[in-house]
Amino acid sequence: MAVHDEPVEDLEDLYENAPCAYLSLRPDGTIAKSNATLSAWIGVPREQLLGKRFLDLLNVAGRIFYETHFAPLLRMQGFFNEVALDLVTASGGRFPVLANALVRKGAKGEIVFIRVTLFNAGVRREYERGLVAAKNAAQSTLKEEREVSQLREQFIAVLGHDLRNPLSSILGVAEMLLRKDSTEQSRTYLRLMIGSAHRMSSLIDNVLDFARGRLGAGIPVNMEASVPLAEMLSQVVEELRTGSGHAIVAEIAIVHTVECDSSRLGQLTSNLLGNALTHGATDKPIRLRAVTQERALEISVSNSGKPIPAATMERLFQPFFRGEVRQSQQGLGLGLYISSEIAKAHGGSLTVQSSEVETRFTFRMPTKG
Amino acid sequence: MSPIERNNVKISGSGPRAMMFAHGFGCDQNMWRFVAPAFETQFRVVVFDHVGAGGSDLSAYKPEKYSSLNGYADDVVEIGRELGLQGAVFVGHSVSAMIGALASLKAPGMFESLVMVGPSPRYMNDGDYVGGFSETQIDELLESLDDNHLGWSAAMAPAIMGNPDRPELGQELADSFCRTDPDIAKAFARVTFKSDNRGDLDKITARTLVLQCSDDIIAGMQVGEYVNARIAGSRLVKLAATGHCPNLSAPDEVISAIRAFA
Repeated sequence: MAVHDEPVEDLEDLYENAPCAYLSLRPDGTIAKSNATLSAWIGVPREQLLGKRFLDLLNVAGRIFYETHFAPLLRMQGFFNEVALDLVTASGGRFPVLANALVRKGAKGEIVFIRVTLFNAGVRREYERGLVAAKNAAQSTLKEEREVSQLREQFIAVLGHDLRNPLSSILGVAEMLLRKDSTEQSRTYLRLMIGSAHRMSSLIDNVLDFARGRLGAGIPVNMEASVPLAEMLSQVVEELRTGSGHAIVAEIAIVHTVECDSSRLGQLTSNLLGNALTHGATDKPIRLRAVTQERALEISVSNSGKPIPAATMERLFQPFFRGEVRQSQQGLGLGLYISSEIAKAHGGSLTVQSSEVETRFTFRMPTKG
Repeated sequence: MSPIERNNVKISGSGPRAMMFAHGFGCDQNMWRFVAPAFETQFRVVVFDHVGAGGSDLSAYKPEKYSSLNGYADDVVEIGRELGLQGAVFVGHSVSAMIGALASLKAPGMFESLVMVGPSPRYMNDGDYVGGFSETQIDELLESLDDNHLGWSAAMAPAIMGNPDRPELGQELADSFCRTDPDIAKAFARVTFKSDNRGDLDKITARTLVLQCSDDIIAGMQVGEYVNARIAGSRLVKLAATGHCPNLSAPDEVISAIRAFA
């Protein structure tokens, strides 16, 4: 039931003054019919448009692109959609549009008309060009940043590597002197020296591992390591004990076979003990416990002292994170990160619990039992 | 990877000689779909995609190699060697007309005839030479390429990279014509429209046919006449077809012209 005063849509007017431009092209691309909207957009009266080629309405770049890309598509698939084109206006300006086209075929499959609909796309085109520019800018910044950071990491890797050799000679000579020298005072100095050299050596290892990880190689583990784990851990404890003079109570009970990289787990343990020495109470012993169960290995290091603040706990295992310590004791903040990466490489985990009673780091990995 | 896979080479038909069809900027081997089959009864018909277009191996794209038309011509020669082509007919559309000419110079004997459809040795005007476009216009074209690759790159990248979760993307891609990788297409446009191979024309010794459309805005009549005048013994046929792609808009006219020549 029709409402009495409802206006009737006039199809002729809908065509002429639609919110989009309409064109019908002959098979040779010349304009057979166009609507008033198109003339209004580009300021060219219809009489001047009829008989012109559609291409003539475009800028040169658009003409080339149309001829090389869209004319072929029309012939092959009979349509194209969402093509960005610029119409040239009577005053020489540009009127950006999005074009859709559809071939109307006759009974024998011959092309009768190519119908083209154009949508005003000025704002959209601005926006899209802005996006493209922003994307290009972001990509080139990213590329530069990547190059710089890769260079920096290569530099770190080379530097770390070059520091290793002189450090081993210092350590070697100091250990030799410690065995030979008799005065108690120089033995004390030598122990301090050896302790510092070991700390420096593990810092270099961490830096090298970090750089290697960042350069894409990851932290390498060798599960067929030659030194037995128990022996390796005793050696690490001994090194740190000698260097610090701090009491370390070690309980090492590796009774099951463990498939692991013992020197990497030595590095992990050394990092944990080093942290305990730096952050723990100086008058209470540090405890190391390394035990195997039926199907697991557990290494834990605990110390007394102030608990780790909750906010710090969250970021503890991130690279370059350093807790609140005295300036002189600041490291790079890589130890716990590298240790947790070593744990991951073994299919295990590194966790922390901290209370007023003690702070305990625990490494767990599954074993074949 | 063999040039056959790299360039998505397709072989059909049989005959004592081979006829190789090469597409130009903006499309792929589909460009020849209405023309090439007509020669299958007399020729071994070879079609392919330039690297970056159609079903070619995009990973084979090396910016330095393809920084001039010579890189594309080297590919043509490699395909020809792989197929053992001798005395073959090369049919090149648009920029591939010059690519074929360069290939014929690189591998004497491989192509005894060249069919150049809408050729241009230089698209930009230069002194007395009328190529059809000013340098500014070509620069504007190169800048505007981003406008129309927006939608394409976003829709096609996942399919090109292989997207097992959405097989319909692969299907859509398989059905689409004239696919081009947006970044490679941009570089190819630059190489094409900034090329200048006028100096190579008088070195051509292959029998040459120039097919010139009326009203071609990419390679106009004066360019076709220039090419014809510079190649010794070449023949110029002016087609009634309009536009730059007679192989699609007037395939029958193109087929008869090639038949009469080859």
